[in-house]
Amino acid sequence: MSYLKSSILSKWVMAVTGIVLVGFLIGHTVGNMQLFIGSDTFNTYAAFLQGLGELLWVVRITLIVCVLLHIFTSIKLKLDNYAARPIKYQYKSYLKAKLTSRNMIWTGIMILAFVVYHLLHFTVGTAHPDYYNHYESVVNEKSAVAIDTQGEQIPPTFKTITQDGKTYVIQEEVKSAKTRHNTYKMVVTSFRNPIISICYIIGVILLAFHLTHAIQSAFQTLGLNHPRYFGYITAGSNLLSILIAVCLISIPVSILTGIVGGAI
Amino acid sequence: MKLTLMIWRQECCKKDGKMEKYFLDNVEEEMSFLEMLDVLNERLILEGKDPIAFDHDCREGICGACSLVINGVPHGHHKGTTTCQLHMRKFKDGDTIYVEPFRNKAFPVIKDLVVDRTAYDRIMNSGGFVSINTGNPKDANSLPISKINADLAMDAAACIGCGACASSCPNGSAMLFVAAKVSQFALLPQGQPERTKRALAMVRTMDEEGFGNCTNMYECEAACPKNISVRFIARLNREYIRARLSEEKKI
Repeated sequence: MSYLKSSILSKWVMAVTGIVLVGFLIGHTVGNMQLFIGSDTFNTYAAFLQGLGELLWVVRITLIVCVLLHIFTSIKLKLDNYAARPIKYQYKSYLKAKLTSRNMIWTGIMILAFVVYHLLHFTVGTAHPDYYNHYESVVNEKSAVAIDTQGEQIPPTFKTITQDGKTYVIQEEVKSAKTRHNTYKMVVTSFRNPIISICYIIGVILLAFHLTHAIQSAFQTLGLNHPRYFGYITAGSNLLSILIAVCLISIPVSILTGIVGGAI
Repeated sequence: MKLTLMIWRQECCKKDGKMEKYFLDNVEEEMSFLEMLDVLNERLILEGKDPIAFDHDCREGICGACSLVINGVPHGHHKGTTTCQLHMRKFKDGDTIYVEPFRNKAFPVIKDLVVDRTAYDRIMNSGGFVSINTGNPKDANSLPISKINADLAMDAAACIGCGACASSCPNGSAMLFVAAKVSQFALLPQGQPERTKRALAMVRTMDEEGFGNCTNMYECEAACPKNISVRFIARLNREYIRARLSEEKKI
C-alpha cells in the first residue's frame, strides 16, 4: 500500500481499476441486452456464465480487488483533500469544475450501495427471494425415432420427414431434462415492481454521472491528453456513459411498459 | 461607483479570522483591484484603523505576488489576468465583492489576505532548476531544440508561481504548478540530465507539503492567470510514471 504515499501513483491506481470496471460494465450491458432477444437466449447466456466455474471466480476476484482498491484509494485521497483545505471559502464559485466532477465520492458511495443491493437482488438472491426463485426445466437429451407411415394420412401437427418416397413420423422422446435458473423470469417479475425499477433507474443515472467524469479523467491521469484527440475522448466519455445508461434503463422501462416479458 | 466589500480580516499569527464589511463610494472604473484596496486602506489609516494587508509587487501581472480570491475565484472572474491587472470596470455599481485569502493548509495565512507561499519555493528548491556549472558558454547553435518544443516549454514557463491553481482547486492540489515547472525543463535539452530526479523530487515535495490530490476537475486551468493548460498535468503524469519505472538505483 506504499503507492498511497504518492498522489500520482494513487491517481494511476484509480484510473487503472476504473478502466477494468468500465470494461466489465460494457460487457455486462452488452450481455444484458440479450434480454430483448428472448427468454431462451437470455437464460442460456446466464447458465453459460454460471457454468464458467473457476474462470468465473477469476473474473469475480479481479473485479472485487479492483472495486476494493478503487474505494480504498478514493477514500484516502478524499481525506487528504479535506485536510489540504482546513478552512473553506466563504464564497466559492466554480469556473470549470462540474457538479459531476466535484461529487465523484458521493456518486461513488451511492453507486456502491446500489451495487451491493443489486448483487443481493440478482446474484445472491436474498434481497427479493420471491422474484429470484424461478426455475425452468430444459431438455438435456432427446431421442428421436422415425416410424414409417405406410401411406397413412398424418395430421399436420406431427413432425414428418420424407425420404426415398416414403414418409416417416418423427417421434421424439425426452430422455433427460435439467432445471436451470429462470433468469429471464426473475428480471421480468422484479422490474414489474415499480419501486425496484425506480431504484434501478436512479442507480444507473448516478452511474452515468460518475462515468461522464471518470472515463475522460482516466485518460488524463494516464497522460493521454493532446489537443489533437482529447476532444474526442471527452465526447466519447459522455457518449459511452449515456449509451450505457440508455441501454440499462431500457430494460426496466420495456418491462414496465410490457414490451418485454409480456407472456410471463 | 459604489461597492460593498466583504473582506477577510485575520490578525497576525492568530488561527482564525472573520469577514468584515466595508462600504466604498468613490471607486473609479479605471482603478485596478489593488488600487481600489489602496483607496480603502488610505481611508482606514486616516480613521486610525488597521489597514488591510495584501500581497503585491510589480502590479503588471508578471511577478506572481498578488493573490486574493475575489468572488470565489483566485484573481477574480476575468480570465487570464492577475488581481493587479483586474480593473474595476469589470464590476458593476452596487456590487458586493467577497475578498478572501488563498486557502490551503500549505499556504497558512500570515495576516488578513497575505498567505505564506514558501511551500511553492520548497517545491522549486527540490528540483525546479537545471544544474549548470560555470565555464565557457556553449555555442547556442550546437544545441538544437525543435520549435514546437521550445514553444511548449515557453507556455509552461509562463507560470508565475502565484498559487492560484492550488487555491482554486476544490482539492487544494498544486499539480498545475508542479506540472508547468517539470514540463518546462523536460521539454528542453538542458533539462534532460536531471529529468528523472526532478519529476520524482518535485512530486514528493508537493505531496509532503500537504497539497491535495488532483482529480482532473480542470478548475486550475480556468483560474490560472497565465492560462496554463492541464495538458501539462497529463505530461507530468507521464513524466512521473516514466521516472518511477526508469529511475536508476543501486540495489
